[in-house]
Order: sequence, then structure tokens, then C-alpha cells
Amino acid sequence: MQTIKFMLRGVLYFSGGMLLLLGVWAAIAWLNRNPEATELADKYPLPTPLMTFDVLKEIFTQPFQDDPDVKGIGVKLWGSLLRVLVGFGLGSLVAVPLGLLLGSSRVLMNLVNPVVQILRPVSPLAWYPLGLAVFSATNHGGEGLLNPSSKAAIFMIFICSLWPTLINTAFGVASIPQDHKNVGRAFGFSLWKYLTRILLPYCLPHIITGLKLSIGVAWMVIVAGEMLSGGAGLGFFVWEEGFNAGKVTHIIVAIFIIGIVGFVLDKIFSLLQKAFSY
Amino acid sequence: MGSPGLRLALDPGNKNHPMKNQESVLIDSASDFHKVTAQPRTSIEVQNVTVSFPTPKGTFTAVKDINLTIRKGEIVSLIGHSGCGKSTLMGTISGMAQPTGGQVVANGKKVTGPGPDRGIVFQNYSLLPWLSVYRNIYEAVDSVMKDKTRAEKREHVEQNLKMVNLYAHKDKLPGQLSGGMKQRVAIARAFAINPSILLLDEPFGALDALTKSAMHVELLKLWNLDHREKTIVMVTHDIEEAIFLSDRVVVMSDGPAATIREIVDVPLERPRNKKEIVHHPAYMEIHDRLLSLLIDKYSIEDYKD
Repeated sequence: MQTIKFMLRGVLYFSGGMLLLLGVWAAIAWLNRNPEATELADKYPLPTPLMTFDVLKEIFTQPFQDDPDVKGIGVKLWGSLLRVLVGFGLGSLVAVPLGLLLGSSRVLMNLVNPVVQILRPVSPLAWYPLGLAVFSATNHGGEGLLNPSSKAAIFMIFICSLWPTLINTAFGVASIPQDHKNVGRAFGFSLWKYLTRILLPYCLPHIITGLKLSIGVAWMVIVAGEMLSGGAGLGFFVWEEGFNAGKVTHIIVAIFIIGIVGFVLDKIFSLLQKAFSY
Repeated sequence: MGSPGLRLALDPGNKNHPMKNQESVLIDSASDFHKVTAQPRTSIEVQNVTVSFPTPKGTFTAVKDINLTIRKGEIVSLIGHSGCGKSTLMGTISGMAQPTGGQVVANGKKVTGPGPDRGIVFQNYSLLPWLSVYRNIYEAVDSVMKDKTRAEKREHVEQNLKMVNLYAHKDKLPGQLSGGMKQRVAIARAFAINPSILLLDEPFGALDALTKSAMHVELLKLWNLDHREKTIVMVTHDIEEAIFLSDRVVVMSDGPAATIREIVDVPLERPRNKKEIVHHPAYMEIHDRLLSLLIDKYSIEDYKD
């Protein structure tokens, strides 16, 4: 009973927030209107919520259409997601073990930390041309996900999802309380036992926090990356079918989709965080 | 008599001395037996132990030139003011800390690190919060008793849980337990690896007076069940606790460079009764002695100067 009440309250607050957003949006669209214009699209340079909803319905009529020249929104979304997941997955595969090593060894930490501190503030987009140049030069004629520009986008995601996971994992390992380490020493835990019973359980929440931050950054960066890389993806959709085609409604629809997917990704990691905190 | 290693450690060079060897041949079996009872086995030898730490302001010496011999099956308390280095001294026995001078010999072997012959109960329980009560003990048992089968280890853990009356709580996480229960898990864990020496670092410091009292009796019960064979060394700053539990109370002087101020014997008969013991004249005498060793002001009147 209490939980239902709690959930209901959550739903109400969420709806209220959305209504507020729609209201502000509609007001700005109306204030920004162009009364002399005859075409609806010209009359509202910032499309109204209703206009956007019509386009949304249209876009979602055939979301999974996958013809050579016409790709549905679902296919584009999947393209972006796939690039993010591959880049993020590869990045995590490097960042977690490396973070565990850095956190356990002061020497390694001191050695690698300056490198991380210099590379971390670099905008992920700056890595894109580097990736593109290298992958184009060594192009083995891959298609789709494996063409040079897509590989460069994945490389960019890989780089930008390294840092939060690396830093959080290393911090997690470095902050294992002496008490926990003492248990391992006092009872003669083997290295394997220390890793699986003390180090990993303690660090897991830190690692997941790092992964959560990483996937957030990755999802933000993919949109910008795909504006550069083209191909089937949400970023290219915003740029090509939205801006270049002069359809502001498409841009707004894409913004909502990007936002909702980012929200869902974040929620998934929040649930993982909850499941692995003790 | 103890193992050759033990003798060697007690008196280096003993075995190689020709005279000594001849003597032992000459002794008849009856007097040899007599010798054994007259000289109980040594469990722990602290020899000229000094512990110093490098600090930004120079070297800090916590304890200096400590010598202490503890017999097998003896319960000894280390008592002193906060920061007097009792835990540091304890650390050199457990092997969690290394002495910068001197050495500690436990069960005839020089201590170079923690070992399965010494069970440690930490000040703040040190249970792993993501493991159940059962698993906390099991992992320690699994580490130490490598030659036992899984089923044997499980049975051993369960038996130890029953001994501290925590079997019903075996699947709980430490966070769901009270302080006293956590401490019982920590004690069960230390007992479960069946060490000959039990080291307790302010084990009951965080408990309320009633729980503390119950835990004292519980600890002695476990020690009794084991035929009083385990040597127990305990750090405390509680005079009543030290007297009730110990055979000897080691009073440390204030640090830095703390040493042993005095060792007070507690010749009270066992089993001891919490309620009756306090009326025992010897108890009161020991209590007074410890109080005067540890405290120099007893009333606000003493602050008048």
C-alpha cells in the first residue's frame, strides 16, 4: 500500500514536470511566432509541442524500416546504441583492470596519473579525427559498424568512457579500509580470496559509479560524434534530416529520444548500483 | 616438553651445548617429569621489543625495550592509558606490525607476520560487511584449514556459530547485528581457526556495560570448553575487565617510549563469579593497586593545587 502510494506520487511529480516543460515550450514557441507567415512551419520558427507530436507520430510509423536509402528511427537509434555499447564495453574492459592495478600500486598510480590528468580534459571530439586518420589509412574495407568513420566514432567513445571508470575504480581500490585488509592478512587469505572476497566486493559500487558516469558521457558524445561521422545514427539524423533539411521538429524529436535513452541507461546503472551496494 | 624449536628459541644454543646434553642424559625420568610441571610451557616471548615510526617530525618511539613472557593457557591483559602503545605491542605479537628492535617468539617461532597459530579479534570487529555471518567465519576457516573437506569446514563453522549462540543468525549480514553480536562473530571467527594464541585488541571497548559483562563470561566459557589451553592476550583500558579475566595484568607506562610499569598478578581462583569476585579482599587489593598505577587523581579535591 505504502509503495503504491509512493509510486503514484512519483508518477504525479513526473507528469507535473513534463507538463511544466510543455507549457514553457509552448509559451516560447508562441512568443516567437511570425504572424505574417502563411506556412505553419514558417509561422513557428520554434515548433509548438503539437506540431512536434505530429512529426513524432510520422517518424514512428515505420521505426524499423531498413532499406539502403531509408532508415527508420529505430534503426538509427540502434546504430548509435551499438557504437556506444561497443566503445563503452571496450573502454570498460581496459579501464576496470587498469584501475584495479593503479589503485593497488602507488608506483603505477604516480606513473600513470599525470597521463590521465592530461588526457582526461581533452574533448572526446578531438580524438575523432585522430581515429579517422588512422582507421582510414588501415582500412580493410569494413562496412556499417566497421567502416573507418564508424570505427573512429567507436574509438572516440572508447577513449571518453575510459576516464570516469578508471578514476573511480582506482579510487575504490585505494580506499579499501585497513580493517578489511587486516582481515585478509590476519587469516592468511590467498591472493584469489583477497581479490574475490575483499577487493572486488568493496570496489564494485565504485566501479559501477564509474561505469554509470562513463556511459553518460559516451551517450552525450555519440550524438556529436555522429554529426561528424555520418552513417545511420541519431547524431546524423539531427544534423542531416533536422538542420540541413530545415525541419526543426525533427531536431526536437531527436532531442527527446536522446534524452529518454540517456535516462534509461542511467537508470539501468542506478539499479545495478543498488543491487551491488551492501 | 615443547618441541625442539621451542627450546631453541627459549635458550638459543642450548641444544648444541655438550654439557647440557650430558645433563639431560643423567636426569632420571621422575625428575624430568617434575621439571615439566614446574616450568610450564612458554607461549609467547617478547624480547627487547622496540617499535618506532618515522614521522615528519622525526622518529616516534611507541614502545621501548619490552620484555614479557606469557605461559601457555595464561590470560594476560595489557592495560594503560590511550596511546601508550598497548595496541602496538599487541601488533608485534600478532605479526600485523614489525618491531624495529628485538623480536617476538610465539609457539617457539619468531613472529614475522600473522599466522594461523594466532587468532586475532580486532577492536572494531572487522567483519566483512558484504558477507553473511556464516561466510565471514567460513572464509577464515577455508583459508586456514586447507586440508579439510568442504563439508568438514561447514560443520566446523556451524559448530563455532552454535558455541556463541549465533546459529540462528548465520545468514544475516553484519550490518543487521548489534555490537555484541558482531563481537561474538569476531570471537567465533578467531576461535574457529583453532589458534593456540588468541589476541584481543580492546575487544569489548565499544559495548555497553551489560553486554560487556555477558561477553566476559562468554569468553571464559569458550576458553574453558577448550580446556584452558589457549593463551589469551587482551588489550584493555578497563580495570574490572582486566582483573575478572586475567591471570596477570601488565600495566604499561605512558608513551611515548612506553615500557612495562608493573605486572600485577591476579591469583583469584577460577571459575570466577562476576558478582562474588568484587567482594573478595584480594580483588579489592588488586583493584586498588591498578587504580593507583593508572590514576593519580581520585576526586575533584585533588585538583585544588
